[in-house]
Amino acid sequence: MRKVLVGALAALLLAGCGGSGGGAADGDLTSDKIELRFTWWGSDARHQRTQQVIDLWQKDHPNITVKGEFKEWNGYWDSLATTVAANDAPDVIQMDELYLASYAERGALLDLGTAGKNLAITDFDAKALATGAIDGKQYGLPTGVTTYSLIANTDLLAKYNVTLPDDATWTWDDLKSVGDRISKASGGEVTGLQSWGFDIGGVNIWARQNGASLYAPDGKVAIPADILAKYWQYLLDISKQGIAPPASVSVERAGAGLDQSGTATNKSAIGTWWNSQLTSLAKASGQNLKLLRIPGEGTATGAYYKPSMFWSISSRSKHPAEAAAFVNFLANSQEAADIMLTDRGIPANTKIRAALTGKLEGTDKAAAEFLDSVKVGEAPRVTPNGASDVEAILKRHTESVLFERETPQQAAEAFISELQAGIDAA
Amino acid sequence: MSAIGELQRLNTSTGGPPRKRDTKAALLFLLPWFAGILLITAGPVAASFVLGFTDYNLIQPPEFNGLENIQRMLTDERLHHSLGVTFTYVFVSVPLQLAAALGLAMLLDRGMRGLPFYRSAFYLPSLLGSSVAIAVLWRQIFGAEGLINQMLGFFGIEGTGWISDPDTALSTLIVLNVWTFGAPMVIFLAGLRQIPVMYYEAAQIDGAGRWTQFRRITVPLLSPIIFFNLVLQIIHAFQSFTQAFVVSGGTGGPSDSTMFYTLYLYQRGFHSFDMGYASALAWLLLLIIAAFTAVNFWAAKRWVFYDD
Amino acid sequence: MTDLRERTHELPAPVPEKAVKLPGAGRSIAKHTGLILLTLVMLYPVIWMVVSSLRPNEEIFRSPGVLPDSFRFENYSEGWTALASPFGHYLINSAIVVLGCILGNLVSCSMAAYAFARLEFTGKKLWFAIMLGTIMLPIHVIIVPQYVMFSQFGWINTFLPLIVPKLLATDAFFVFLMVQFIRGLPRELDEAARIDGAGHPRIFLQVILPLMLPALATTTIFTFIWTWNDFFSQLIYLTDPEMYTVPVALRSYVDATVSTSWGSMFAMSVVSLLPIFLAFLVGQRFLIKGIATTGIK
Repeated sequence: MRKVLVGALAALLLAGCGGSGGGAADGDLTSDKIELRFTWWGSDARHQRTQQVIDLWQKDHPNITVKGEFKEWNGYWDSLATTVAANDAPDVIQMDELYLASYAERGALLDLGTAGKNLAITDFDAKALATGAIDGKQYGLPTGVTTYSLIANTDLLAKYNVTLPDDATWTWDDLKSVGDRISKASGGEVTGLQSWGFDIGGVNIWARQNGASLYAPDGKVAIPADILAKYWQYLLDISKQGIAPPASVSVERAGAGLDQSGTATNKSAIGTWWNSQLTSLAKASGQNLKLLRIPGEGTATGAYYKPSMFWSISSRSKHPAEAAAFVNFLANSQEAADIMLTDRGIPANTKIRAALTGKLEGTDKAAAEFLDSVKVGEAPRVTPNGASDVEAILKRHTESVLFERETPQQAAEAFISELQAGIDAA
Repeated sequence: MSAIGELQRLNTSTGGPPRKRDTKAALLFLLPWFAGILLITAGPVAASFVLGFTDYNLIQPPEFNGLENIQRMLTDERLHHSLGVTFTYVFVSVPLQLAAALGLAMLLDRGMRGLPFYRSAFYLPSLLGSSVAIAVLWRQIFGAEGLINQMLGFFGIEGTGWISDPDTALSTLIVLNVWTFGAPMVIFLAGLRQIPVMYYEAAQIDGAGRWTQFRRITVPLLSPIIFFNLVLQIIHAFQSFTQAFVVSGGTGGPSDSTMFYTLYLYQRGFHSFDMGYASALAWLLLLIIAAFTAVNFWAAKRWVFYDD
Repeated sequence: MTDLRERTHELPAPVPEKAVKLPGAGRSIAKHTGLILLTLVMLYPVIWMVVSSLRPNEEIFRSPGVLPDSFRFENYSEGWTALASPFGHYLINSAIVVLGCILGNLVSCSMAAYAFARLEFTGKKLWFAIMLGTIMLPIHVIIVPQYVMFSQFGWINTFLPLIVPKLLATDAFFVFLMVQFIRGLPRELDEAARIDGAGHPRIFLQVILPLMLPALATTTIFTFIWTWNDFFSQLIYLTDPEMYTVPVALRSYVDATVSTSWGSMFAMSVVSLLPIFLAFLVGQRFLIKGIATTGIK
């Protein structure tokens, strides 16, 4: 009896995992009544815009019902993993760079290159497209691109009478001394810098400026421990010297999200951000914010385009052709772009971006212009399969370094071996 | 004391006819429960057991890997660390929370003006659940620039960020847990209602003081409920997840200082696509909890007083 | 045949509650002062939430503390309509789930509890251990196989995966709670009823159930609150926004990487607290009933 039960269970789980999609992604669209499930994460503003885009598409495709399923970030990934495990995944999936390879290399995502006539990718910037490709297969179509930057509060700079050096040539030491002057001038009221080390962008840039990279092309961890140690040493120094807030404040703000950051609450004059976050930050802060290039770019290029997120299609979708046509609409339709604007990043579709730039105003415009002005290198390798929790590992070691529970060197070595172990196990 | 003794004797010896088996009635009353075990619980529980011996990334079919997951547990330092965190939490927060709950339940139980008001107020923190609003709230209270530190600043004390400092984060969570003593308090209150007042009257006739009444009447007669709360709070504390998840944004940070066992298990399963290992971890937790519960039941024979 | 309820009234007459001890006035004031201070500590979160729900979005984090400088009631109207359906839709969904779970727990758990507390049958201890064992596995490893199973049943995006388990007494917490309460009731009552010729169903319905009102009230209150606040299983089983419940909807306002409608989120958090607070206010009246009102003192 028990054996039968266990056998049945195993069969059930296998049934959940097996199965394949129906039809070809480049086939003709059906005229039958079907339903597509489309899932994304975000806040209510995004939910509303996305629903408008869905409504727009439904006008032209009355037989295809698109069901939007919105979630918040954490719940999104729990829910997605569960539905994929049960072979019940939504057809169109908003995907993140961290998870792309973990899903794609395990066969959960469709190669969008097979969608042929249903999905055009010709208008996309090649560097941006490369961020969604693994082994020559296009698993994700970037919705937008963004680049790592500094955001400075010019009101605070003016208040404390601090002028910035030219951000095209400045160095990490320059940043430190600027931050120091602000901290001192304010008498402790604000800090010059806001600590970072909680997102992987900073590490990527640091590695690239030092002639290394986080991952080798084959997906192994490639950053040398001493380079990574220097990164953490820098963060530890600015924290201890009062240039950035003390460890507990930094950790607290990093965990609290954008609205409660030092930049948003005007408690830190300069912070690292993705350039596309300028508008949200400006809204929260209520003061004048300005995008700056990261230090050190004058001598070696570390900057790159990061895809804000991707459109992906489940490999087990029963309607891959229709799903591809819908993604095509999301990615290439000017009407859709006019509704979404920069909500999912500054569009990676160059035609759309060109048409959109003229319509943008204020901080959106500044962010788009900044993106164009930054000199970027090749995109770093996609986060490998098994490394989707890299930011959690990074964050933990940053905390340990800031609280001096680990030396930067220890943290670097532990980070590398943990990350590699995850990749090896996948 | 004679009246109390009399009453207790009266209660311990039921003196009814010898019990006979009630198999038919039991089947009837347990029908929904048996159906639940068979239809709802058994399958997934058995599946998680089987998965504990596999390498399962949720996306591809599980692969049998023998005892590998168990071997991994032996050398998994973060697992050992999370066990330490969890044990500390269980042993410190459960007694504190139960003491607070019982103390206030006693205080609120009888003849007090404004009783319903206090009872509701004390229960409020337990109503709040774990929404995003609560995460923000804790930060406003326990943050580096939060309410607590503002009050400490009054006395010239400079506090840390209580939930973002690895030295204080776990203690803060324990305080938060004690704060939500509302649930066990309500259960104690309901239990206190079952103690017939005549016992206390008899005790007063005998001239027994409050402390004697508490020890000789309240504790023995409330003991099934104390026992219930103890067993369940221990089980809950071992499985504690939500609070740490909310406060640390799901990371168990800072520096793993609030990495509860179930949080670690959840991260392995869902964030690292390591559901096989997570399932094995779950069964280890089951063994630990079952061991504690068994000890509890064994010890209960000495101090829990039933009426049957 | 004697009515059993009446029988219980033949037991000694109730004594007024206050009879235990009358504390002196000074002591009473000290006690109330202490309790009020404690009340403030307990109330602070709620006050803060209400105040925050009336603040403009930008001010929530820039100006901490509980003294509002302006009131923005639009947070409520905006929050109500910010998601795909009006917030009332999610309240109704949650109410359906909650009512189903309460009904399920009250009926099925009390039945199982009666069996464990009062009946003799083979393997009772083993079954009891199994029952307790079922709440010892964390949900995170159960949920994936359970999802697979429920999706084979075709139950995804219905309330069935949330309610049916409660109808089948899978919430061992409440079974155990009720067992403890029933075991605290004097056996003489059962025996008396048995002598009157009552079978187990009648003893259960007419003797035990009325006497365990506090336990049933506790079960109702806790089921209400826990189901109302339960996020994980509702998130997993309800993928269609039409079916979202309050906790799932509440999180849809928030995204850590962009700016969030905090005002709306706090406003709806306050709205979603109201039903459970009311439920508690009503439910707690029954906590003090039970034996006290059925006559055995």
